[in-house]
This record gives sequence, C-alpha cells and structure tokens, in this order.
Amino acid sequence: AKMSRPVQARRLEGVDKNIWVEFVKLATTYATVNLGQGFPDFPPPDFLREAFVRAVGGEDHMLHQYTRAFGHPPLVKILAQLFGKLLGQELDPLANVMVTVGAYQALYCCFQALVDEGDEVIIIEPFFDCYEPMVKMAGGTPVFVPLRPKAPKAGQLMSSADWQLDPAELASKFGKRTKAVVLNSPNNPLGKVFGRGELELIAELCVKHDALCISDEVYEWLVYDGKEHVRIASLPGMWDRTVSIGSAGKTFSVTGWKVGWTVGPPRLLQHLRTVHQNSVYHCATAAQEAVAQGFCRELERLGQADSYFVRLARELQGKRDRLVQSLDAAGMKPIVPEGTYFLVADISAFASDVPDVPGSNEPYDSRFAKWMVKNKGLAAIPLSAFYSGPHKNDYSRFIRFCFAKEEATLKAANDILQKWKREKAGP
Amino acid sequence: SVKESLSCRIQQYSTLSFLTKPFCLCIFILQTMPFKHKNTRRIEGLDSNVWVEFTKVAADPSIVNLGQGLPDISPPSYVKEELAKAAAVDRLNQYTRGFGHPLLVKALSQIYERVCGRKIDPLTDILVTVGGYGSLFSTVQALIEEGDEVIIIEPFFDCYEPMVKMAGAKPVFIPLRNKNDGNSASSADWVLDPTELANKFNSKTKAIILNTPHNPIGKVFTREELQVIADLCIKHDTLCISDEVYEWLVYKGNKHIKIATLPGMWERTITIGSAGKTYSVTGWKLGWSIGPQHLIKHLQVVQQNTLYTCPTPLQEALAQAFWIDYKRMDDPDCYFYSLSRELEGKRDRMAQLLREVGLKPVIPDGGYFMIVDVSTLNVDLSNAEENQPYDYKFVKWMITSKKLSAIPLSTFCGPETKVQFEKYIRFCFIKKDSTLDAAEVILKNWNKQIA
Repeated sequence: AKMSRPVQARRLEGVDKNIWVEFVKLATTYATVNLGQGFPDFPPPDFLREAFVRAVGGEDHMLHQYTRAFGHPPLVKILAQLFGKLLGQELDPLANVMVTVGAYQALYCCFQALVDEGDEVIIIEPFFDCYEPMVKMAGGTPVFVPLRPKAPKAGQLMSSADWQLDPAELASKFGKRTKAVVLNSPNNPLGKVFGRGELELIAELCVKHDALCISDEVYEWLVYDGKEHVRIASLPGMWDRTVSIGSAGKTFSVTGWKVGWTVGPPRLLQHLRTVHQNSVYHCATAAQEAVAQGFCRELERLGQADSYFVRLARELQGKRDRLVQSLDAAGMKPIVPEGTYFLVADISAFASDVPDVPGSNEPYDSRFAKWMVKNKGLAAIPLSAFYSGPHKNDYSRFIRFCFAKEEATLKAANDILQKWKREKAGP
Repeated sequence: SVKESLSCRIQQYSTLSFLTKPFCLCIFILQTMPFKHKNTRRIEGLDSNVWVEFTKVAADPSIVNLGQGLPDISPPSYVKEELAKAAAVDRLNQYTRGFGHPLLVKALSQIYERVCGRKIDPLTDILVTVGGYGSLFSTVQALIEEGDEVIIIEPFFDCYEPMVKMAGAKPVFIPLRNKNDGNSASSADWVLDPTELANKFNSKTKAIILNTPHNPIGKVFTREELQVIADLCIKHDTLCISDEVYEWLVYKGNKHIKIATLPGMWERTITIGSAGKTYSVTGWKLGWSIGPQHLIKHLQVVQQNTLYTCPTPLQEALAQAFWIDYKRMDDPDCYFYSLSRELEGKRDRMAQLLREVGLKPVIPDGGYFMIVDVSTLNVDLSNAEENQPYDYKFVKWMITSKKLSAIPLSTFCGPETKVQFEKYIRFCFIKKDSTLDAAEVILKNWNKQIA
C-alpha cells in the first residue's frame, strides 16, 4: 500500500524549492565580492564576544546544559524590560516572551500555532521569502498585496518610502477567512520603514476583521535619516492581536548564533509555547546568556552615542550612502532604503549584457544575477526571489544588495561596478 | 481578562477626541467581543508538558536533583575550549550551511562510516538539527502525516507521542514487558512480545520509533531483538526512526547495534544522534539525522522551512571535538568510551544506594537512567492530590519530605499502560560525586526518618 504513494508528507508539497540553497552555492563558487545573502562580514561587537567566551569558559559549567525551555531566565527578563519600555506595556518575562532558534523559528511557531487549513494570511510583496512556504506548510492560503512604486520627485533617487500600499487594494484583501497579516518593518528586501499612518491603516483593518498581526521587526534598530521605527503592537487595539519578532543576529551582528524571540500577549504566546515544546523544546544556553549580557549593556545606553545600536545604525547609514553612490555612478538605479542593510537597484542599464530569453521560465533578474556572479564575481539576489510565483516577473529588472560589509568589500564592489561601466561605454 | 482589558481601554480613551475617531470607536465596540482566535487543530491537547512542572520544582537548590536528564558533571575541557576558539573567528559568528556546517557533517560522516561500515555522504545523508529532539521533529514532520500509524514502544521518551499527534498521525503503543514477572534485576528483562508486536503492524503503519539504548529503562536491544523489528519493517514496508542518542553509553557485556546496519534497513531508517548526550553538553542543542538521501532530502526541506540553520560556533566546536576523538577511536581514552566507564561506576553506586533502602532497582545496560519500583516502600500517600497516578504522588511526596527528586514513569506511557508502570520512578545518575553523596545521605537515612 505504501509503495503507491510518496514517502514524504503532503505538507512538503510545493515548499521544497529554496532560492538560498542555489544562490549561496553560486556565491561560494564564483563570488569575489559577496553582497548577496544577508549577513555582516564585519565582526560582532567585542563586548558580546567577551560575554560569550565568559559564558562558555567560566566557573559555571551548567551553562553547557539545558536552560529553561521557553527562554533562559536572564534573557527573557531583560527582553521583558526592554520591550516593555518600547511597547509601553508591563511585561512578564515568563508569559510575554519566548526565545526561539532565530527569528526564523519564531515565524515558524507563529504559523504553526495560529494558521489552520482554510485560513488566509496576507503577505505584503516583496517579502522575506520564507513567509509563503511557511503559510503553505501550515495549510494556510497566502494572499498577496503589493507595495507599488510611485515615481520619485524630479532629479531625486527613488526611496523605499516611494513604495506604498494602495489602501483600497489592501482593504479588499481582508475577508472572513483572513487569520493574519504578516508585517515586516523595516522591510527586507526594499528597506522600507512603514510610517505611523501606514501602520494605522493596517491596524484598523486587523481590528475591523479581527485578524492577527505577525510583526517581523528583526531590523528594528537599523533605521536611517532620523526615521522612527514604529512598533505596530503599540498602536491602539493591536497589543492583544500581535506577535512581535526580534533577532539577536540582526541586532548584534551575530547571525550565526540563531537567537530570536517573540513578544506578545499570553493568549497568543501560550500557543507558540506549545509548538516550541513539541518541536525544538530548548534553545542553546550559552548564546542566550551572552545576548542577555549584551542587552543589559545596551539598556544602560539606550539612545546614547555609545550605544551599539546607535553606532551600528550610523555606520550602516554611511555604508548605504557609499553603495548608493557607487551604483548611481555606475548607472544602476538604487532605491535608497530607509532601513535594514539591504538595498534594491534597477539594473535596466546593464540589461544588454544579459539578453532576454523569450519563453524562459526563469525570471529575468534571476538570470541576470547568475550571469553577474559568474562573469563579474559580484553576488546579489534577484528581487523575484521575494515575490510569489505569479508575480515574479512584475519587477524583473531589480536585484538586492546587502551592504553590511567592511569598507574593503564595498570598495571592491565599487571597483567591479565602475570597471563594468567603463567596458560598456566602449573604447 | 476581557473585562480587565475593556476597562483599561475605556480609561485610556475616555477623551472626546477619541470618540471622534471612527476606528477608535470601532476598537471600543470590538473589545467587548470574545477573542475568536484559538490554537490550531494540530496542537489541540498538546499543551501540557511534564517537564515544565518537574523542572520548576527541582529548581530549588535544596533539592537533590536526580530527575531531569541533564549532567551536572563538566563537559571535557577541550570541548569548552573549542567553543571559545570558534567564537573568536569572525565568520564563525555568521550563518553557515543550512543542512549542517561543512566541517561538522564531514566529521559525522567519517565517524559513522567507521561505525556502520558503509559510505555516508556528508551533504546528502546527514542533517544537523537542534538536538536529538529537533531530529525527531524534522523526521516526523517530513515523513508522517494524517492517516499514518506510528508504533511507539512503551515506556517512551515523552515527546514521541505529541510529535506524532501534531503530524496528524495515530500513535500505536506496545509495552516492554517484564519477562521475569515481579523480579526484574536488569533492563534486559524487559522485552517485547514478538506476536504482540507483529499484530501492531498493518497497512497504515508508516513507521516504528525505536530507542536504543532506551530511556527510561536503559535497555540495549540485542541483535536478535532488532532483527524481529527489522523483519516486520521489511515485511510491511515500514520506516524505522531510531533514536540512538545514548549510543556511546553502554556498559560491560553489552554492545550497541545500529538497526540501520541490518540487511534491508539502511534504506528505510533514520538514525538520530545527539551532541548533548555524547559530550555532556545538553545546552548546545545539536543533534543529527543520518540516513539514505531519498529520506534525508525531505528532512532537509523541513529544515529550510522551520529554522533554516543551526548555530555556527557550536557546530564548529563540535566538529573540532569530534576530530580529536575520531583520531583516538582505537584508544580507550576516547571520550566515547571513557564517559561510559565513568558512568558505569555511578550506575553501580546508584544501584547500591537504592538497595540500602530495601529497593530493587532495574540495572540498566545502557543510558544514564535507572528505574525502580517504589511501591514496596508502602509510603502513605493518602493525603496526596486526587486523580494523579501513584508515581506522581510518590515523587511529589519524595521531593517535599526527602528533598530528593526523580521522574514518575507514567510520564513515559500511553493512557492504557499507566497502571502497569505507575509503581516505578526514574533516577538520573550522570551526576557529580557530591550530588551522589547528597543522595546517599538521604537514602541512608530514609528508613530512620520513617521509623
């Protein structure tokens, strides 16, 4: 009886493809300058590394053993303190906070705990690519709504702020089956930082339709030009229906530590805990201890000049500006991001290098990005990676660069781009 | 409560300006409606967890904790050093390969090639996961679904049942039975009845979960016993999920045999291992699944849709530690063997202490747990809570009055067998000498206090 059907579970149908597997391999093989996958190539802050070394080498070898499953006590305590302050809520570390294996696993817990077969989940395009397969694996139906670019003011570069939701279009996506909307602000890949007005629009619809909000805020500290990161859970009517997700990897430049968290009301977190205790159960102890110490230090310096969050944002803003300059000078048209460490650029001026292949299944930007890494050694990610199947060709002349890189890396990228431009100009 | 939050909201928005904003008015009205969002069907009834209760209780430092299975001995120093070294390398603090850090999967493939006597491809035959727990989860999510039955041998590590249920499948239980009736001296006395086992298999049986060395009894399944299971798997075209996290902890006279090495089994078996149990670092939460590509590839799909990758510095450090021990696998000083010798001494000591109280512990052939029938002590538990099984009541009484903790065995059983196992409690003996000394004081004085 078993021979006649596939060995794997049906929940894996349609979620087996993953762009990162392919593009990470290409970068490893061909890239001399890797601005593709989103991770810093500069070291984490010393105070955090020192905290980790203390945790693993110290007197207390019990830091090598299981800690509390839903989050190491010192970590959930400080997260409750910090996010309580930021959200204007009194938070109980045991009931309002849960630690996860990176924000990725936090997202997984949310979908598994809250999305059933038949539920619809609204996803704003372009989106961090895992949202779609995670919703599907939970038996849900993703409903997409695009950010649409408005033309920038004359003579100005486009900004991520120019990409906006159409309020009527957004409202039309909410219905009886809408279980949740996934919000990602600051947004990967565009770098858009949703304004208060935009968030109020989303909040109003959530409240009206009694929908939940899964708020992916991993880039919460990386906002530029004095822009404010507004937390949707702090808007009226939203605390009770929102799970806010954060990441030590992005906060402290340690993507390889895989420490993330969820913050929300007990009646939602209790279900995340059920998923967590039946999937990974515990998260590694030592990194949680170190991150807790990192947060203690930052809580004392919140908003001050010597805060790591402030310094990192300032440094990354400079790197953003330098990459924007390089791309603009080379003839690619960057969309200036208001936040995150990603920026998207229009590569139309270079399209002649990669001819169109009519009838090809592969989106143009994907072929372009592959050609670019193989021939120019510069790795980037096609924007189509962040769109649902039917929409992958909607914005097919854009690629995403990560600028959380050492100056030497950004300079090397600039050299490649300028050389390429010169080659195109001809002898 | 809804009432509380409503009054808070009223207080917050009691100004006239609030009432002029239509959406705020909307919130006001809606706060009076019951919150309609409950948990998804897949987690219905899976919210309780015995560990949450018992770890809280045992967190009291005045209690000698022989309950939860975590070592209070130090991991070997080179293991801790490798982790510190890894954190010093910049790129090792960033993402690594999703299915397993290259250096680690290479080390795992070499060790297990040696143990299994077959070629294991590090990229296609291995997945690194968040502990043995994460491997179990990835395997069940990848290969088990609604309509499937999964055979679980009782008593079982408690997560097997909820994981199978969360995947929408039906757990089918079969108990280990004490073949010597009342008198059990060894974990080897606990066996499966081959006919009873055969009757559990049918066309819906997708997999059987095997745990050897076994938690909580400590049984090390013999080749003959594994062959019985293998024959049934092959006959019914069933998968085998083999939880072998205690694989290195086998005591004199016993050999750990991998069911995947039996004829016809490699292609249908996922074998699970754990860094936590191998190196006494349960807080690293690294494990692995090893098997044929046509099965592992589905576990890899689960990985890329659940957590994407495991922590880098931990994987690097584990790989380095493995190289150190791989090179001395012919040497008795290899940690895989030296830990086992150390634990055998602790096992024997634990057994002796329990005998002093007049108990007859079941001596485990492997693992770091020991079960014992406590009903013979005839402790008066009439004051205890209502509907709880005997062993729950006993453990709670023991924690309060003797300041010693253990885990009730009925935790590890399906609903029908609780009665069979509720006389037993489980002790963990991977504890440093001072902990066992403290346990000794309690156990030696046990009868004095009762008298």
